[in-house]
Amino acid sequence: MSFARPVMIQPGETVVRTVCPFGCGIACGILAHVRDGRLVRVEPGDFPHTSHVCARGLSVPRLVYHPERLKYPLKRRGPRGEGQWERISWDEAIGIIAEKFTRIGQTYGTQSLAFVSTGVGILANLVTVGFAGACQGIFILPAGLGDSAGPCADMASYGAYQWFGEDYANRFDNPAFCLVWGNNPAVTEPFKWRRIREAKEKGALLVVIDPLFTTTASKADEYIPIRPGTDAALALGMMNVILEKGLHDIAFLTRYTVAPLLVRSDNSLFLRMNDIVLDEAAEYLAWDIRSNAHVAHTAGAEPALTGTYNVNGIPCKPAFQLLSELIRQYPPSRAAEISEVPEDIIRRLATAYATARPAAIYRGMGCTRGSFHGDLSFRAINTLAALTGNVKVESPRNCLYNAAAFLTHGVPGFVTLLQMYETILTGNPHPIKSLWMTRHNLVNQDPNFNKIIRELLPQLELVVVADLFMTTSARYADIILPTCSPFEFDDLAAPIGNGSHDYLQLQQKVIEPLYESRSDLDIYASLAKRMGIDGFLDKTAVEYLEMILASGHPSMEGITLERLREGPSPPEPYDTPPFATPSGRVEFYSERLKPFGQELPVYFEPLESQNRPLAKKYPLTFFSTHPKYRFHSMFANVSWIRELDPEPVLSINPVDAAPRGIHDGNLVRAFNDRGEVQLKARVHQGIRPGLVNLSQGWSPGDYFKGTHQALTHETINPAQAAIYEPNSAFYDTLVEVELVKEAGR
Amino acid sequence: MTERYGLLIDLERCTGCRTCTVACKVEHGIEVGSGIRVETVGGAHPDTPSGTYPNLSMHYLPILCMHCEHVPCRDACPAEAIHRRADGIVLVDPDRCTGCEECIPACPYGALFFDQDKKTVRKCDLCFHRLGAGFEPFCALCCPEEAIRYGDLSDPNSEVSRLIAERNAYVLKPELATGPAIHYCTPKRLALT
Repeated sequence: MSFARPVMIQPGETVVRTVCPFGCGIACGILAHVRDGRLVRVEPGDFPHTSHVCARGLSVPRLVYHPERLKYPLKRRGPRGEGQWERISWDEAIGIIAEKFTRIGQTYGTQSLAFVSTGVGILANLVTVGFAGACQGIFILPAGLGDSAGPCADMASYGAYQWFGEDYANRFDNPAFCLVWGNNPAVTEPFKWRRIREAKEKGALLVVIDPLFTTTASKADEYIPIRPGTDAALALGMMNVILEKGLHDIAFLTRYTVAPLLVRSDNSLFLRMNDIVLDEAAEYLAWDIRSNAHVAHTAGAEPALTGTYNVNGIPCKPAFQLLSELIRQYPPSRAAEISEVPEDIIRRLATAYATARPAAIYRGMGCTRGSFHGDLSFRAINTLAALTGNVKVESPRNCLYNAAAFLTHGVPGFVTLLQMYETILTGNPHPIKSLWMTRHNLVNQDPNFNKIIRELLPQLELVVVADLFMTTSARYADIILPTCSPFEFDDLAAPIGNGSHDYLQLQQKVIEPLYESRSDLDIYASLAKRMGIDGFLDKTAVEYLEMILASGHPSMEGITLERLREGPSPPEPYDTPPFATPSGRVEFYSERLKPFGQELPVYFEPLESQNRPLAKKYPLTFFSTHPKYRFHSMFANVSWIRELDPEPVLSINPVDAAPRGIHDGNLVRAFNDRGEVQLKARVHQGIRPGLVNLSQGWSPGDYFKGTHQALTHETINPAQAAIYEPNSAFYDTLVEVELVKEAGR
Repeated sequence: MTERYGLLIDLERCTGCRTCTVACKVEHGIEVGSGIRVETVGGAHPDTPSGTYPNLSMHYLPILCMHCEHVPCRDACPAEAIHRRADGIVLVDPDRCTGCEECIPACPYGALFFDQDKKTVRKCDLCFHRLGAGFEPFCALCCPEEAIRYGDLSDPNSEVSRLIAERNAYVLKPELATGPAIHYCTPKRLALT
């Protein structure tokens, strides 16, 4: 194989171009050096648009050959969670699972069998969904693990999912202004940060809004601290300044947003032609200023954006009038009171953002995890972008595929992650009695640890974990199956979202499976065979990859395995509307959210904010941000990574530490009604008073006592559930922190 | 003319990700420690700032062997295990190093460390084995921010020389007149008006 740049290859080594497949979703292209069938090192890929490597990526051989890797199937002995295991053969493991699946399915119905998986490998995830379908079981949608509020907002605003990508508000070639909001891309999203850095080096101003003084904040021309979870109020305050100064982009609002669409004052729905003329189409209407009459919203008229109109006896207002009425309730003084961002900064920031062209906003999970209403935070920011015309009129494009080839034996039922809790507890709407987790460390990473351990797991008659290591989840399993590392099987990898790059890449098999580990495809294929599911998963991985490529989505038209062996491929161009909302416009007004009083991007106080009565008992907001060196719980066991970040610490400002008698390095206890975690305090100035933070992903054994997810909650936001998936508002959590007098692990 | 290999490290770009630290481990087979470490210039702990919230500042400072012109560690080594090549690269000879560690405090930059596995002192060797084969140092290749630029300091037209001049780069502890080959350029900030 030849490479685009010179690669130093030692004698006896071969180099394979593949993907760093470990779950951060970025899918960096890498070169894997192999000697005598062993992965010896990794370096950045040779393809510039996907090339990147981090401390984790370079440590990957340490993960693959880690002495603690699961080597053979295990069966629980003794009570669940007590760590007594018996080595069994694959034949026995598959036999036990097949027998239990059959019995549980017969007793409770097949919808008692639930499956969850995560990761960037397309085939690895599809086979789990496919197998859940073949069992007529349930697939748990995992986006609610802190990631779903963003898509909720963007489904409403733009009609598109956007994971970590932010195409609409920031995919500009040369932004003059970069506003990073609740996001630390210099640590968590390297490709996004690369674009920001390049803009900055060309002279763009960088402003960072965050309660934490992050690495990204340290690079900013101005750092703006904010009270957690109040981003929508700040955005509304900025919009107030923009309207007041007349800096809004009327042409953009008229052409691309719902601004001119008339909304009925009687039922809050958009006025449609068939509301006034029976048998007409349900076309949206606007009010034409020149003819002083209603017109189809697509007509080349001069539509009114403000005022009140009467159409055949129905009182109506343009959606922009309603938005303006909301915005007028948030003068900078009120926005300042809520967000604790000073009024003069709100004015300066709003003016700078509205007058720079183009101005880019890079939003992050700080906003969507920071409040139970994180989707509203994003919707307010989306509205700010639309108000100033800083929205790219082009839908993001990805390499997409049709999953039908894997659903030949049935389509599973779907339950969202947070709805899983109630479903397991009540048996409604599905009597879940078995849970299979593939590379999803649910017990460690999902909210309300104690509820999972004490209430959910005891309801389950079978827990299967397929993973590389004895994770926290595996400790509570009945059967553990050792899976291959992603260097041990072929797959396709596309980045999750567009925040990194758009390329589809081949994840090539670099080494043979280690020990007795098996790929997901092999595991499900042998289980299907044992369960008598005929003709399912009977092809090779390469045959399935070819089926995925040829599954009929135009984004993959003409992309072949041969082409991918040469290097990554961007999606083929395909037709898609710029905004796939019901109106085809940017919807700052969403009819679907009317039942929740959220048709406009209103501000709601977070569930557990410091303004709530609960704050008397638990006065500190608790964050658990993404780690710098680990990927969630992964890599914590790799010595090179551990050397960089040896133990969990709780960041606390001296203002909060002093009255509690806490000094740097003291053992402290963070607690609330749900649980506690004990770890060392790190007293420093980089954290907002009233806030404490730790970098999540540590396992219970890394703490002196408890675990960080014992503090978080799984409360379901019904508006998010209606539009997409309810999110874990991890940072919308109150705690108290106290000194622990006696240490005891 | 003789080459003088060196680096320019852009502190504006450095995000303290420590990819260089791990890259050095990979390239040199170092279990604990690294030829390049990244300090936080700010608070007492890594990734913490100085100042009082919210008026804060922080940046990162990668520290490695400066490949000095006047070599204090060499002078301190009783085993004569340290030498400076004609191209300016300072090397520890692992066969001669007795592990007495006398060089470690002699380095004003704290760039040397004792490798518990190899039982010798180690430090950055500027990946001389890669340079010889026409490749850049591994840390420079892996740096995700392209913050580490490598080149010939003696050539005024090299990219690294040009950038050192343009960016007003500086060396650490110039008062010691060690003549480092590692140069740094500093952050600059605009203002929101």
